[in-house]
Amino acid sequence: MKIAFVVQRYGLEISGGAELHCRWVAEHMSSHWDVEVLTTRAHDYVTWADYYPAGAETVNGIAVRRFSVPVPRDRDLFGRRQQVVLEEEHTEQDELDWLEAEGPTSPDLLSFIRENEAAYDYFIFFSYRYWHSYWGIQAVPGKAILVPTAERDAVIDLRFFKELLRLPRAFIYNSEEERAMIQTVSGNGAVPGLVVGVGTEVPAEADGDRFRRNHGISKPYLLYLGRIDENKGFPELFTFFIRFKKETGSDAVLVLIGNSILPIPEHPDILPLGFRPEQDKFDALAGAAALVMPSFFESLSMVTLEAWALSRPVLANGRCEVLRGQCRRSNGGLYYDNYPEFREGLKLLLGSAPLRRALGDNGCRYFQENYTWDIIEEKYLETVRRLGQEP
Amino acid sequence: MNDASHSGPKKIEDIEIDYDKIDVEAVMDQVKQVAAANPLEPIEPPPAASPAPPPPAAPVPPPAPSAPGLKAVLKDKLLRALRPFAPVVRLLGLPLHEDIQATIKQLDQTNRRLDALALETPVRFAEVVAELEKVRDRLNDRMSDLDRTMEYVKLLHHLDHNIVVELTKLRIEFETLRSKVLILEKDLDAGVQRERILEKQLLS
Repeated sequence: MKIAFVVQRYGLEISGGAELHCRWVAEHMSSHWDVEVLTTRAHDYVTWADYYPAGAETVNGIAVRRFSVPVPRDRDLFGRRQQVVLEEEHTEQDELDWLEAEGPTSPDLLSFIRENEAAYDYFIFFSYRYWHSYWGIQAVPGKAILVPTAERDAVIDLRFFKELLRLPRAFIYNSEEERAMIQTVSGNGAVPGLVVGVGTEVPAEADGDRFRRNHGISKPYLLYLGRIDENKGFPELFTFFIRFKKETGSDAVLVLIGNSILPIPEHPDILPLGFRPEQDKFDALAGAAALVMPSFFESLSMVTLEAWALSRPVLANGRCEVLRGQCRRSNGGLYYDNYPEFREGLKLLLGSAPLRRALGDNGCRYFQENYTWDIIEEKYLETVRRLGQEP
Repeated sequence: MNDASHSGPKKIEDIEIDYDKIDVEAVMDQVKQVAAANPLEPIEPPPAASPAPPPPAAPVPPPAPSAPGLKAVLKDKLLRALRPFAPVVRLLGLPLHEDIQATIKQLDQTNRRLDALALETPVRFAEVVAELEKVRDRLNDRMSDLDRTMEYVKLLHHLDHNIVVELTKLRIEFETLRSKVLILEKDLDAGVQRERILEKQLLS
């Protein structure tokens, strides 16, 4: 069985959610299928500018074929076109123009898919909202499987996506909430789709004490992992945390691991560590009182799964349906819709080690039952198997 | 409050939790109740990045003129006093002015688009209606053709049926005649044999 994974970026250095998701799945499924990745030469997700060499190469044992993006994304043009389609009355052509500006626009990638359709049994497209998925699925609808990695944002309501989301042969969803959202928006209940998610690569050993020693942290700490920007719930988390400290007199520290495009407040108990190696990240998780996930837009939240894999409780933004749903299903975390709930939830977590332990154990059990790699692989195999049995 | 045992529900901060069977939804319901019951403490307003701009200078209402011309004199004096600050006032009011300009421009663009749509929509609607009528006419023609074809096919079926009936009748008649021919042949043979026997007898 020869399967192509089609994704906007691919590489060992690329840590974006959907791209990392695709790479991990491709690497795991290569033990069952003949896997090839079709992608662009881009490294930067803002401009899609060519970075890697064109043509074929092997990355971690996976055959990768890269195609150029002749015109990098123009942020100003994209911003203007996004304003038109999200805030003004517009036509389908405006939506297509937005898609052209969104990118990554790679005509060579699309031509390759069209010309080599017969060489592959199926094409698994990642991320519904990008140029490669929109045109790629339309090129090979009979062989297209879509992993939408969709978030609840305004773009999902664009009219042309309604038609696109009815085209693939099957879907692989990240969460129940994502499936419900896509089926509501597009009416594609007849298209088969499994809720699968993704596993995670947790190291064999994660040492919280080592992290504390290396960074001189002696107090209990709340950990955030990921990019620091507005979509991820900043600067609201800073406001809430600083206020919590003032009102309760708690000695907790907020540790931030990840790059920031926003200014970080100068506060003695807010510790930005920037980008850290993987082992350091997992050590930080192992020693944290809880992971805080303030993001408004998530399709799955891989870091939340990583926290549960290490039996850490989570404090999540309840206004994100996916995070709220995951906390409820797993019984592995609390959530908040506003500052008072953040305050009470955090007080509860910091005040009770048995509660943290019980939530962490629940999260770990939930992870083991749903997100280990053998389960993920079996669901991918099942999806393709069912398609093969269809007349 | 680090309670070591997990057995049965425990209360933490007025929230009851069953450690053996944690139900996050139930815990969150209690958290929401506690959060709603505890009023928010007033917080200091965030430090302003820059001082708030003073309102633009407005003409001060003149005092009741005690004599004609006093209003004008006072106004003149006030404007002179404010004149050195005018650039600052204009500068501080500039962002607001620019916002208003941008909003007006956007509203204007929206209005123009609405006007264009209002003009264009009936025309396009009429075009679409005309196209639909053409399609409907073509469909009607095709339906008539289809009806005629169906009638013709029905006739062919009838013809088919009748031909089969006639062929069957002919076949039956053919079989009957063939049987008769066979009988006549046998009779003829018998007659010929009888004739020979009689001839033999006559000659002998």
